[in-house]
Amino acid sequence: MELFGQTVICGILLGGMYALIAIGMTLIMGVMKIINLAHGALVMVGMYVTYFCFQEFGIDPYFGMFLSMPVLFFIGCLIQKYMINRLVEVESILPENQVLLTVGIMLVLTEAARLIFKSDYRSVATGYSSSTVFLGGMSISVPMVIGFFIAMVFTFLLHLFLTKTDLGKSIRATSQDRDAATYLGVNASRITMITFGIGSALAATGGSLLLPLFYLWPDIGHLFTAKSFIITILGGMGSTMGAIIGGLILGMAESLGATYISMGYKDMVGLVIFLLVLLFLPGGFRSLAKR
Amino acid sequence: MLNIKNLDVSYKDLQVLWDVSLEVKQGELVVLLGANGAGKTTTLNAISGLLTVIKGSIEFLGKDITSMAGYKIAGLGIVHVPEGRRLFPEMTVRENLEMGSLFPQAKAKRNETMKKVFEFFPILQEKQNQEAGTLSGGQQQMLAIGRGLMALPKLLILDEPSLGLAPVLVKQIFEIVNEINSHGVTVLLVEQNVAQTLNLCHRAYVMENGRITLQGSGAELLNNQHVKEAYLGI
Repeated sequence: MELFGQTVICGILLGGMYALIAIGMTLIMGVMKIINLAHGALVMVGMYVTYFCFQEFGIDPYFGMFLSMPVLFFIGCLIQKYMINRLVEVESILPENQVLLTVGIMLVLTEAARLIFKSDYRSVATGYSSSTVFLGGMSISVPMVIGFFIAMVFTFLLHLFLTKTDLGKSIRATSQDRDAATYLGVNASRITMITFGIGSALAATGGSLLLPLFYLWPDIGHLFTAKSFIITILGGMGSTMGAIIGGLILGMAESLGATYISMGYKDMVGLVIFLLVLLFLPGGFRSLAKR
Repeated sequence: MLNIKNLDVSYKDLQVLWDVSLEVKQGELVVLLGANGAGKTTTLNAISGLLTVIKGSIEFLGKDITSMAGYKIAGLGIVHVPEGRRLFPEMTVRENLEMGSLFPQAKAKRNETMKKVFEFFPILQEKQNQEAGTLSGGQQQMLAIGRGLMALPKLLILDEPSLGLAPVLVKQIFEIVNEINSHGVTVLLVEQNVAQTLNLCHRAYVMENGRITLQGSGAELLNNQHVKEAYLGI
């Protein structure tokens, strides 16, 4: 029973951090109607920025995160403005061009990281990296708890931003009807740029929170692209709440899979749930709430 | 106020507007009539800066807006309530209204204007926290007009506000349009509902196959033989 409790709690904590990354992808998908396959690579870059701050200047990852966020916001804005927007404006034979472009960006970011940091596995060793707290008979990793709570705080802040500010409302309006937003005076291309920036900054945050828990190497991006893609589908596309639910489900599935089946099969459990959802609940868990 | 001269517009290689000239004066209620595909909505989208004009000019309050970006045109006081309402379905009624008042002057008076809109449409106040997508067709149209009013428009452009509404609601919407106009807002109304709008307006234009074919006061057009035969079925 304790093992089960520990597994579930661990899954929820991990899922909260996954959710933050997936929310970034969901935001971008909602506004631009494209799947950003470079999202995981942006997580990876965010992790390296935080890692670099830790390695060179001894800045704790939880503080380094606040450097990584603006850097990634800036990179995200540049990618949107000078690369993706250019393709949006051009009449192309393939509407999938934008998605292909994100694959290209992913490859460039990954290989650039390999060039700078080599392919070595790296990790951040802080005083609390392997510390645990005990809850009854369950042991829970401290960085997971901290990461989960920071992720929830950021999710809440994002929610406030999207519902209370004009800029946030403009982002939601643009994702629901781009032309109607333009009629009302919203500069849609500026909004997409800011959205991409915010999405990338969230990716950096999620990545930095996971840094004390994961090994870091240039190809780790693929893992996060897959995870956030699965979470987005699980939750129902374009929904923040859906992304949170999807994140928690994926986190728990991986955790339960790792405990009760085997560590090597943990990703399989998540993928099986992903397939089942695609087959039997194509609108994601969000469609259940709408009924 | 709004002055369109010799406008040509095309979608890629297909020209849809030929030599369209149209004027709306301060305080007027002008109607643009025409069948489906006559080019009415295209004309409006050209005004709102969503399309590229190949020839001709559009002036608003003496300023050339022919090639201005769409979001800037809204800032000048031209508010376009598009065909099919185009609300933000997953935002609440209140949020939709707030989206109407993004520019500084309108934002400063946001609460004040919202009160006025709620006086026009009490039902919106009642449902202000409901998602826009859950409203009925008539309520959605009211919200779309209300959202337009939130921007404190100098010129309010309404594209087929009666589309898909029951006759009794159509009448109500036109009464509201008339009332908005009598409060000093200049209105350009695009309609297929010929008899009712001609009775309502100061002047009207008839558009056929991408050209303006007739113009005159509402009464003149009501008595025009061609309008009677083609649009009123008399």
